[in-house]
Amino acid sequence: MSRDKASPGVSQSLLFSIPVAMVVLRAGLCPGLSEDMIQLLSANGIRTVVDFVSSDLEDVAQKCSLSYKALVAVRRVLLAQFSAFPANGADLYEELKSSTAILPTGSPSLDQLLDSGLYTGEVTELMGAPGTGKTQLCLGIAASVSLGLKQHVLFLDSTGGFTASRLYQMLQAQTEDEEEQLEALQRVRVERVFNIYEVLRALQELRDRLSQQVVSSMGPLKVVVLDSVSAVIYPLLGGRQSEGLALMMQLSRELKTLAREFSLAVVVTNQVTRDSSTGPLKPALGRSWSFVPSTRVLLESKEATREKCSTQRAASLAKSPRQPTGIQVELDIGNGDVLDPSLVTPTQGL
Amino acid sequence: MQREVGTLPLAPVLRARLAAAGFQTAQELLDTGPCGLSKEIGISREEALEALQVVRQECHGHARTAEGSSSTRKCTALELLEEEQSQGFIITFCSALDNILGGGVQLTKITEICGAPGVGKTQLCMQLAVDVQIPECFGGVAGEAVFIDTEGSFMVDRVVDIAAACVQHCHLIAEAQQEEDHQKALETFSLENILSHIYYFRCRDYTELLAQVYLLPEFLSEHSKVRLVVIDGIAFPFRHDFEDLSLRTRLLNGLAQQLIIIANDHRAAVVLTNQMTTRIGQSQSTLVPALGESWGHAATIRLIFHWDNSQRLATLYKSPSQKESTIAYHITSHGFRDVQPPAVTPSTEGTELNPRKRPRTEEEKQQ
Repeated sequence: MSRDKASPGVSQSLLFSIPVAMVVLRAGLCPGLSEDMIQLLSANGIRTVVDFVSSDLEDVAQKCSLSYKALVAVRRVLLAQFSAFPANGADLYEELKSSTAILPTGSPSLDQLLDSGLYTGEVTELMGAPGTGKTQLCLGIAASVSLGLKQHVLFLDSTGGFTASRLYQMLQAQTEDEEEQLEALQRVRVERVFNIYEVLRALQELRDRLSQQVVSSMGPLKVVVLDSVSAVIYPLLGGRQSEGLALMMQLSRELKTLAREFSLAVVVTNQVTRDSSTGPLKPALGRSWSFVPSTRVLLESKEATREKCSTQRAASLAKSPRQPTGIQVELDIGNGDVLDPSLVTPTQGL
Repeated sequence: MQREVGTLPLAPVLRARLAAAGFQTAQELLDTGPCGLSKEIGISREEALEALQVVRQECHGHARTAEGSSSTRKCTALELLEEEQSQGFIITFCSALDNILGGGVQLTKITEICGAPGVGKTQLCMQLAVDVQIPECFGGVAGEAVFIDTEGSFMVDRVVDIAAACVQHCHLIAEAQQEEDHQKALETFSLENILSHIYYFRCRDYTELLAQVYLLPEFLSEHSKVRLVVIDGIAFPFRHDFEDLSLRTRLLNGLAQQLIIIANDHRAAVVLTNQMTTRIGQSQSTLVPALGESWGHAATIRLIFHWDNSQRLATLYKSPSQKESTIAYHITSHGFRDVQPPAVTPSTEGTELNPRKRPRTEEEKQQ
């Protein structure tokens, strides 16, 4: 990355910190925290680390008849273990510059729309009506990353739409060498996940594997594709229970943490719905989900060419942290051949 | 196991209580044990034991699948490619339609057929229920069929006609080719056998349909040769008397996910038929498939049947690997067929059979 927008003075004065999580007090959590101590504390209503750290220790020492010094020692250890350190804005910026990569999607006009490609550390969303080419673009991204960059791709398929022969077709269009094609196919890992719990489990396993840095067939992973996120969340939303929303937020947290911690580019596909049968198209999953992806691309088939059954699609930028919204390009979801990028005058974004 | 409590498939009430008590990861739950758990959150010992069992299964389930499970949920694209290339298709006896589908109706995928009334959706379903049983030596997948009927449009007499034509067709091929395995296969490929391997279910409203689909995995594990599940009329039970549209969307999406799981785990093709509805635009109205926008994402492959004067046309609207195209088809007394006989190619003398050829061409060739 060669951009240098923030001035050092400003970023140094920005402090970021992440809140400490609620953890239950258990014996052995830190030296000095014994089972009897825990029993006494919980009898007085102190069950979690937060309760302990935020309570007045003199008070606690009196009520639980524990030694004040012991409590202070335990608190110091717990704070060191569980709280986060504030980070300096300039350091964060440097870290971001060195760890972010921009991955080409295999389609120059889409790259232009995304400001030269998929950014790692971010969630990008592709949305569109059925048949507009979301899965095709995902396959194109997988082909380009595994063949061109020789990086691994994890494809989480929740709709059954992943067709290996189509991926093979795309690879064949890009290179003649058969060995390269087969190697590229081996770098794409496919997992079929058909409900939300399986998706969460797969992401959790990925996180475990990456954090333990297991050198297995996983290899250097750069892209995670989830096609589609609305298929697994739709059955849970609505109705009187609110757990659907909670699970959706869990999923968004997992995706964002994965992207940020391991410098991955996460791509999700989403549906579009209408408010009424004549209303305009809007992305599915509502307002809560709209904060999750940093970039949103809307795919549409061009009305005039519908009868001629073509492979042309129009992609417009609906949300982006770097580009103005409303830019439109034309894509061809045929055999990976791409048209000359034509920038249409910006229309009303979503 | 650093699995967060919020991501485990427990009841929402239980999850809320665990979060309030301060449990964060699955490991903490397992460490606490059932007695501690029941005391902390105020549930009975049995409930705590059940919950812990679910947690244990979730966390260690992945260790089992890593060793290689029978359901290939995790694999590389190369392995998938080999699997796909060795997979058969269910032919439709209309070679033009088979061509645009890439060989026929694909296994492990959901195909949706939309069309106005009378255009031939049920005819194709009945044809497929017969075609799935064609023995492998004739180019079929040698499977059985499950037919779930919601509209009551399944006519056994028609299936008899279609099956008889199919059997006759195979006999002609066997006579022309004169190979041993053909004769053996023909002994089991008879009219009674075909009809006895179509499992018919009649569902009268959406509750029965949902129940049937959710009970289908059990049925399929008992009848492991089933390679086709047809739901004729998925729109019918959902279009009448449904006041709560958001409930309908939720039920349909849940149904779609369940069907994908069935298609994937049992290597079966799922075929659904849908009705058409009118969408009134600004200046004109268009016919679109029913059940709304979100249902359009359920099927992987979508075919739309429509009329052009008196010619029936089929358009491939959505497919992951084939281009959009339109072809014409015909419905004869023998079933679903091409409009004209396909060109006679000398390559049929070769090892690979072409059961898509109509009986008449075979007879002509023999003369």
